[in-house]
Amino acid sequence: MREKVARPDEVRRWPGDFPVAHRYTPGLAGDAFLTALRDRGAILGSRCERCAYTYVPTRLFCERCFAELDAGVELGPEGTLVSFTIGFVGLEGEPLDRPVTLGLVRLDGADAVLLHHVLDPGDEPLEIGERVAVVLRAPEERTGSILDILGFAVAEAESD
Amino acid sequence: MEPRVAVVGIGHAGFAPITAGLSYKELMFEAAQRAYADAQVDPRADVDSFVCCSEDYLEGTSIFDEYVPDQLGAVQRPVQTVAADGLFGVATALMLIRSGAARVVAVEAHSKVSDVLTLGAIEQFAMDPVFNRPLGVPALAVAGLDMNAFLERTGLTEEHCAMVAAKNRTNALDNPRAAYPADVRPEDVEDSAPVYWPLRELEVAGRADGCVVVVLAAEERAGDLTEAPVWLLGAGWSSGSPTLESRTWGEADFVARAAERAYAMAGIEDPGEEIDLAEVDDVYAFKELQHLEALGLGTAGGLAEMLAEGELEADGDLPVNVSGGSLGQGNLFEANGLARLLECAEQLRGEAGERQVDEAYVALVQSWRGVPTTSAAVVVLGNEEGT
Repeated sequence: MREKVARPDEVRRWPGDFPVAHRYTPGLAGDAFLTALRDRGAILGSRCERCAYTYVPTRLFCERCFAELDAGVELGPEGTLVSFTIGFVGLEGEPLDRPVTLGLVRLDGADAVLLHHVLDPGDEPLEIGERVAVVLRAPEERTGSILDILGFAVAEAESD
Repeated sequence: MEPRVAVVGIGHAGFAPITAGLSYKELMFEAAQRAYADAQVDPRADVDSFVCCSEDYLEGTSIFDEYVPDQLGAVQRPVQTVAADGLFGVATALMLIRSGAARVVAVEAHSKVSDVLTLGAIEQFAMDPVFNRPLGVPALAVAGLDMNAFLERTGLTEEHCAMVAAKNRTNALDNPRAAYPADVRPEDVEDSAPVYWPLRELEVAGRADGCVVVVLAAEERAGDLTEAPVWLLGAGWSSGSPTLESRTWGEADFVARAAERAYAMAGIEDPGEEIDLAEVDDVYAFKELQHLEALGLGTAGGLAEMLAEGELEADGDLPVNVSGGSLGQGNLFEANGLARLLECAEQLRGEAGERQVDEAYVALVQSWRGVPTTSAAVVVLGNEEGT
């Protein structure tokens, strides 16, 4: 057995880092989704008739049966909260000043769910199964990004 | 299926929050030395092929597979790296041996996570760059979402998950290699701070360094190398959808698919009856229950009842994570699967000391690659009485 180090802080270490930068191609399907979102504020999905399953965002292919799909189904803007979580820590475990809430929402017309922030859930505790609606950025501020969606808001609160 | 394949040697090193002073190569060397001594093999002469399991980003080195032969005695020999959990390496070894490409294979997996300064960023980098990463949240959010969906679907409660965390951390008190043993009650877990609610701090396995090396051999060689072969009865692996949007939430369907294959190979028809103990992924406490359900060891409700009645303890009907699991031993990342296999091999050899399970003949090992993945592997092991 080798001797255990008594003072780990004093062990010699060599620092190293590596800049990682990429650009990602959303592809034909991703481009259709992001363009419709930016230009029309529409949320597009892809329907696989054989599987009776509607994807969101759009897909070029069905992961269930391998069929080729097209972008053509408009979804939402309302939907149902399938799950949510409240984050209290950041990327490396550091405490956050304000908790963040994320939700999985099955938009009306979709089978897949969309992941996004839940906006200011307020004092009423969120509940799985409740109705929410997509909140979009103002048209002139949209860039063709998933962040053109600001998040989901509880639908009842919207109609007050 | 022929030839039968056995675990003939196993060795480990580390299993500590930090292995200061030892490089990852030295950690691997130490585990390999012990495994080869256990199997009484000379790696330079007796091991036909080597399989390592690692992921470049966690190693901080590009093309990391180039960095493994020397410390394993594998220079100028067939070596391959599988970018997956160690159990996928065991499955690869099984194929090498069954196909006749090798008779003796060494499988290695390790964690030197204490050297990783930006683990959260690496995990987040595994999320979809266009649709998920811009939200700016850690991959841990995926665990919080899945836990909430799991509790909603099954009707299980946060208390059940807290009981798992308490059980495993307490089990680790009897495991000398465990990095995070603790006398913890479920109330302590429920009182710990939420990280991604409903997931709490004490329900997340702490990081640990460690290495496990396993030597596997075809039956014709196994007899020469060990008096207590642990037979590899079945192996299966599967991946679900990588896409957060279209995967099945709250349910580990990919584990069920992996288990079906492993059970079919092992001839297991009623896992609840035939499995004597299980070491399953519990990197997040709720995952233990979700994985047991997917492994066909009970309904979620039935498992919760067993948990509450102590049937998942070392002396219960179905001992689960007697080692302490990842919650008690530490999260060893790609080495988690081999750490569970190590425990099962010791149990089946009757060498588990304080935590020895009575009448341990057939053991189940399951691993999952962690958030945000849906990849799992399952292995069924048995000793001479279990075959």
